[in-house]
Amino acid sequence: MEEKEHRKHQKKQSGPKADRKKKRKAPGAGEEEDGRRRNPKAFGVQSAVRMARTFHRAQDLQTKKHHAPQVDRSALEPPPVVIVVVGPPRVGKTTLIQCLIRNFTRQKLSDICGPVTIVSGKKRRLTFIECGNDINSMIDLAKVADLVLMLIDASFGFEMETFEFLNICQVHGFPRIMGVLTHLDFFKNNKQLRKTKKILKHRFWTEVYQGAKLFYLSGMVHSEYQKQEIRNLGRFISVMKFRPLVWQTAHPYVLADRMEDLTDPETLRINPMCDRKVCLYGYLRGTYLKNRSQVHIPGVGDFSLSDVSFLSDPCPLPDSLKKRALNERERLLYAPLSGVGGVVYDKDAVYIDLGGSHADREQEEARPTAELVQSLIGAQATIDVKMAASKVSLFTGSEPLRQGELQEEEGADEGPKEERVWDPETRRERRRAIFTEEEEGSEGEEGSEEESEEEEEDSEGEGEAGEESESEEEEGELEKQPALKRLRVEGGSEAVKEGGGIEVPAFADSEDELEKSEGEVEESEVEGESSEEEEEEEDSEGGGRKAMDSGNCSEEESEGSEVDSPLLEELGSKVKHPKHKEKALEEEEEEEPCFETAGELRWKEGLAQKASEAFLRQQRSTPNLRKLVYGTVAEESEEEESGGGELGGLFHVSRPESEKRRRADGLDCSHYTPDATRDWDQQEVLDSIRDCFVTGKWEDDKDATRLLQEDEELYGDFEDLETGELHQGDSGKQEDQAEEDESGEGEDEDGGKVKGNAEGEKQQRLDKKRRLKERFNTEYDEGDATFFDDLKGEMQRQAELNRAEFSAVDDETRVQYEGFRPGMYLRLEIQSLPCEFITNFDPNYPVILGGLGASEGNVGYLQMRLKKHRWHQRILKTRDPLILSLGWRRFQTLPLYHIEDHNGRNRLLKYTPQHMHCGATLWGPITPQGTGFLAVQSVSGTKAGFRIAATGVVLDLDKSVTVVKKLKLIGYPYKIYKNTAFIKDMFNSVLEVAKFEGAALRTVSGVRGQIKKALRAPPGAYRATFEDRLLMSDIVFLRSWFPVSVPQLYNPVTSLLLPLGEKESWTGMRTVGQLKHDLGVKVKPNKDSLYKPVVRKKRHFNPLHIPKELQRALPFKNKPKNAEKKGKVPRDLQRPAVIKEPHEKKIAALLAALGTVHNHKRKSAQARQREQHKDFLRQRQKQEMDKMKRQKEARKKMFRMIGQREKKQQKSSLKGAAQHD
Amino acid sequence: MASSCVSYEGCNFFRQRLVLSTLSGKPVKIRKIRSKDDNPGLRDFEASFIRLMDKITNGTRIEINETGTTLYFQPGLLYGGPVEHDCNLQRSIGYYLEALLALAPFMKNPLKAVLRGVTNDQKDPSVDTLKATAIPLMKRFGIDGEGLELKVLRRGMPPGGGGEVVFSCPVRRFIKPVQLTDPGKVKRIRGMAFSVRVSPQIANRIVDSARSILNQFIPDIYIYTDHMKGANSGKSPGFGLSLIAETTNGTFLSAEMASNPPGQGTPILPEELGKNCAKLLLEEIYRGGCVDSINQSLALLYMTLGQQDVSKVLLGPLSPYTIEFLRHLRSFFQTMFKIETQKPEEDGKGGEKVLMTCVGVGYTNLSKTLK
Repeated sequence: MEEKEHRKHQKKQSGPKADRKKKRKAPGAGEEEDGRRRNPKAFGVQSAVRMARTFHRAQDLQTKKHHAPQVDRSALEPPPVVIVVVGPPRVGKTTLIQCLIRNFTRQKLSDICGPVTIVSGKKRRLTFIECGNDINSMIDLAKVADLVLMLIDASFGFEMETFEFLNICQVHGFPRIMGVLTHLDFFKNNKQLRKTKKILKHRFWTEVYQGAKLFYLSGMVHSEYQKQEIRNLGRFISVMKFRPLVWQTAHPYVLADRMEDLTDPETLRINPMCDRKVCLYGYLRGTYLKNRSQVHIPGVGDFSLSDVSFLSDPCPLPDSLKKRALNERERLLYAPLSGVGGVVYDKDAVYIDLGGSHADREQEEARPTAELVQSLIGAQATIDVKMAASKVSLFTGSEPLRQGELQEEEGADEGPKEERVWDPETRRERRRAIFTEEEEGSEGEEGSEEESEEEEEDSEGEGEAGEESESEEEEGELEKQPALKRLRVEGGSEAVKEGGGIEVPAFADSEDELEKSEGEVEESEVEGESSEEEEEEEDSEGGGRKAMDSGNCSEEESEGSEVDSPLLEELGSKVKHPKHKEKALEEEEEEEPCFETAGELRWKEGLAQKASEAFLRQQRSTPNLRKLVYGTVAEESEEEESGGGELGGLFHVSRPESEKRRRADGLDCSHYTPDATRDWDQQEVLDSIRDCFVTGKWEDDKDATRLLQEDEELYGDFEDLETGELHQGDSGKQEDQAEEDESGEGEDEDGGKVKGNAEGEKQQRLDKKRRLKERFNTEYDEGDATFFDDLKGEMQRQAELNRAEFSAVDDETRVQYEGFRPGMYLRLEIQSLPCEFITNFDPNYPVILGGLGASEGNVGYLQMRLKKHRWHQRILKTRDPLILSLGWRRFQTLPLYHIEDHNGRNRLLKYTPQHMHCGATLWGPITPQGTGFLAVQSVSGTKAGFRIAATGVVLDLDKSVTVVKKLKLIGYPYKIYKNTAFIKDMFNSVLEVAKFEGAALRTVSGVRGQIKKALRAPPGAYRATFEDRLLMSDIVFLRSWFPVSVPQLYNPVTSLLLPLGEKESWTGMRTVGQLKHDLGVKVKPNKDSLYKPVVRKKRHFNPLHIPKELQRALPFKNKPKNAEKKGKVPRDLQRPAVIKEPHEKKIAALLAALGTVHNHKRKSAQARQREQHKDFLRQRQKQEMDKMKRQKEARKKMFRMIGQREKKQQKSSLKGAAQHD
Repeated sequence: MASSCVSYEGCNFFRQRLVLSTLSGKPVKIRKIRSKDDNPGLRDFEASFIRLMDKITNGTRIEINETGTTLYFQPGLLYGGPVEHDCNLQRSIGYYLEALLALAPFMKNPLKAVLRGVTNDQKDPSVDTLKATAIPLMKRFGIDGEGLELKVLRRGMPPGGGGEVVFSCPVRRFIKPVQLTDPGKVKRIRGMAFSVRVSPQIANRIVDSARSILNQFIPDIYIYTDHMKGANSGKSPGFGLSLIAETTNGTFLSAEMASNPPGQGTPILPEELGKNCAKLLLEEIYRGGCVDSINQSLALLYMTLGQQDVSKVLLGPLSPYTIEFLRHLRSFFQTMFKIETQKPEEDGKGGEKVLMTCVGVGYTNLSKTLK
């Protein structure tokens, strides 16, 4: 190819194009005129409709992006984040929690029971809680979780529980979920490992969301996870953001991390089964909690809080935020149920956990070697029992296999299939969830995924070595930290004062007289030094009683002196500062003792008094009006009495009964009788409201003339361009005026007037500036302020107001106004909990106090939208007991399923549809509409298959139901006159018929009719008309709708009350099927329901008879022809039967045989020929192929030769060229 | 399982108790109702009120002992829908309407109530006043729209009655929080002078006398005269006046007066009534606040039932009814208001004001059906 020489571009030096260019380049030319201007046609509106549409579409898309704005009600100091660690047993939950705690606090916690709260960062605290494998715990914890760490045994794969938990989460508002794969070191083959990881990851993504985080914990080092991996996980946790979940933000809840039994020991001695008074402690989460409100404890029941108070935070965030990282002392750990809490406060006492000399030895022993033993200790049932149980489950294990086969035949279910695997290590049956379709799907994408994964691993592996040595040191150091042990410092003056200080912060700045009054009360409680001995006795007694510190108390006393752990120091420092505060007060009142309470019983006596006193104290400090309204100032209401009179009497609350009664039966009227003292004829009285009218004087910042003036001042300056004259706003004048104003006002305050003036000026200037800025801002913003922006702004303002309103008020008062706010550490007293709660208390099961809104404690009918879960094996039957998890509650109830007809009628269904929503109505607790729920058939043990039977949402709450079922009333005609028929056997009396007069009827053959009137003769018979004549054999039926009643069963699942080891085996009402199965009752079928052979009588139809009149009128075509009856065929026309002779028969038989032989011959010949032809064709094809092959070979040879020759030629020519060069 | 019962003594504040009980779902027990009275037990108007409560709810359980001195009220769910009620003539429709105003936004179906009875009397807020004050107040809380309406079809005076009122209200799931701290200044005064079965001239006489007093403050006064005839005029003669002062910030303050029923007390002159009513309005303006005295409790109720945000409202001095209402709010919803008194800084601005602040309980309408 030869290259052509292109002509070079010649720039235009002159002409219109060059001019244009020059113009464009010239600096003064300004902006180029745009396309719109130059070519208006191209940008013109072609179609107004289309333009409107595009505009609308754009707006729609824009609006779709918005979320409905919500007021930000999150607490300033949020409660610890609840992290629930879920997974099947032996997957490494406890190890993970231990490792994470170690990562954050550098402390080691060997035995984890219940929630563990730690400080993880400057602004974040975490509460870890382990979720057992039973469905009760899973349901409860899914409701309070902020983050779920979902542990998956990679060597085994997903288990059914994992999917069940995911579905539970989905129903109760999806918390953040992070998957963690463990047991990855079981894979020896790297390829296998990678493949498994990917399969699991994709399945996890489909369940949670695409790209959900899945962590890989590759292996164990000294029976702990690798440090770097844990650190990464910790980092993820500590920066994670959480979405607000509807239920959680609308309800207060407390995950109890401590429990004390406060029942009077005497009553306990008399009746050990008496209801207990129990104190539960925990951080308040969700929203404000009001005192005396109702709570539900899942697994126990509904209770009203008898007393709520807040305690100082046992695990506070660090105070100053300047530092970069937390120091060792601020990395707190709080887990009272696990026996770690440092100093534990109560209203009356302080508990200190101390390290004993032999405690850590014990812990050392408990480490890896003794793991097996520990697991045995931890087991709640004996091995024998477990073995027995395992046998049973092995037996059932064979069943699902059959089920699986059945399923394969159906092939329709996309849910996970269950495969039961016996795990000898844990001695339990594991339910593997198998998805059939996932393997094929994931194969294809493998290549691309692997790469990214490797990268991930690389990044995680980095820097591991560096950290290792450092962390090793820390480990050593931490091992020395003694395990903690409890000491109760009850009545210890300082400590208790600390407690008091916490309870009553208002104390320090309240009036003296109040203190005195308190002193009087206190005196009764005061006892000297001698009381301490008593106390010790009581203490040991109490120790025996309490589950928590049993066995520790006797040693504590003796070791008290040795205690010098940092914990006590901490306590000391804490105690100090309130002491300073109170010093001044103490000086004034020497007689006031240092709150020496003597023993538990003593302080309990004074509790009510104390509380009332605290309230009294507050009442005094607040303005009078509050006292007037909310009253309860018993003794000190002198002012009110002076008010006297009937009107004054109206205001009293706390007056003795007599007064109360007088007004109790007063006139119920909202009118407010006017004050008689004001006479509206007098001028001065009239003047007192002069400024309430627009005609009166206005405030400075609203006065029109003044504002106008200011405007002048701001915008008044201008220069007249024509004349060059400079106009100035009359700011000077205004200032003068301002001064005048001020002097007018400030006449009474003599001193500092000048100073005031100067300040006033400055203030004015600032004001002016601010106003200018505001105006500019509003003008600037107004341009693109949309409705959404306005709404958001409003929410923002509301949030600020919410924060600001009570921030200045001290906590004690604030709590009364807005309730206890989330983030506070609360002590919640419940008066009468069942004794089983205490006796069977197991800290491994979560105790949640879920607050209930107004009227959420009532029961009623709930109408819900329900769908059978796609993975659940069987459809659900109406009126079969079902356990629902709704709101905080778990309860058993009997739902009715129904579906809405096109006319809004709710028709009863016997079973739920397979894959469709249906309605469900049940008797249950009132729960706000829109709340999701899930249903299981049983919570005990592990049943075959996917346990979540149904999910849905609450639609409506009511006190009555409107579900109907179809009822067909059947009757038989006994007399028929044309279109009228008399029907019997449908009703029993005239009255019944009267109720149905005018009702529509139908016969089996489809003739419609109507009930007319009752007949006297057989009772219940009636006259009815039809659109056609009935037959006597017709059956008449009346279709009616019968209202169904919903059985009123509400049976809360009380799993927490069950004895230890049986908590997972709650059974409520059984279904009829279960009952029959358990009792061995055979179903006795209704005889009418059995199928019998149908015997139909032959019907006989009469010949058609046409009347003569009609016949005559008919056209000839349709007239019955008078065809004469066919006579007998005459003899001669009859054909005779041929009877063959024996000889002839023989011939015929022979001929037939010959024919058969011939036919066979011909057929076989044909077949042979076909075969031959096929052979021939095959041969010919073969030959053809051979020929082709040969030809191809030859051609190949030839072409090769030609090619070689050409190459040679080329080579030679090239050679020649090279030589030439 | 039912919530703990709240118990009271005496028949006073009867409506408050039933209304709050219905809203909070807590059963209430009232004992010793006029137990020392010559005529013990519930009166007819109270029975009528209970019947009305039964009509607008579903599943309410009411137990009254034989003498009628003890009432047990277990509330059901608010149902709403079309309701017709013949109110007892001892009290005016306002007595019943006040309760409906408090309950109407929380029904299952939008309420459309037709109330028959006495529209104006001397004891209770009249229908006109409620229409002019309570309806705009409800709008402030986000209860607005087409459905919110109060119409006076017929007027009825005691003792005969014969009036008819239609009240319709849409339902809401949430109530908005409000910040009403600046009442503004009175910019206009409107009013309604009515006369039934008397000379139509009486209304004009009332207007003139009322204007004579109010004209000292503001020129923008218009008082409508409403003379109803024939079937619309009820069964008894009477006349009255209701005055509304509207401020620049949309606050409505009201005052009203009605003539004595025939045969009870001395007949009152229309001029006198007009003047007294105008003075009552001045008194109301003196008290001030963003909500007038008869609607204080309504405003406080909506604040309590609002979302969990801070609401503020500036009120005039608290009426005894309101004070008791606050106590009831505490016992039913555990809410306490922060009560701060504000003295006006200048002289001509009326009396002491009270700033009420509270955090809503986050009440949701449990009756409304989710579609």
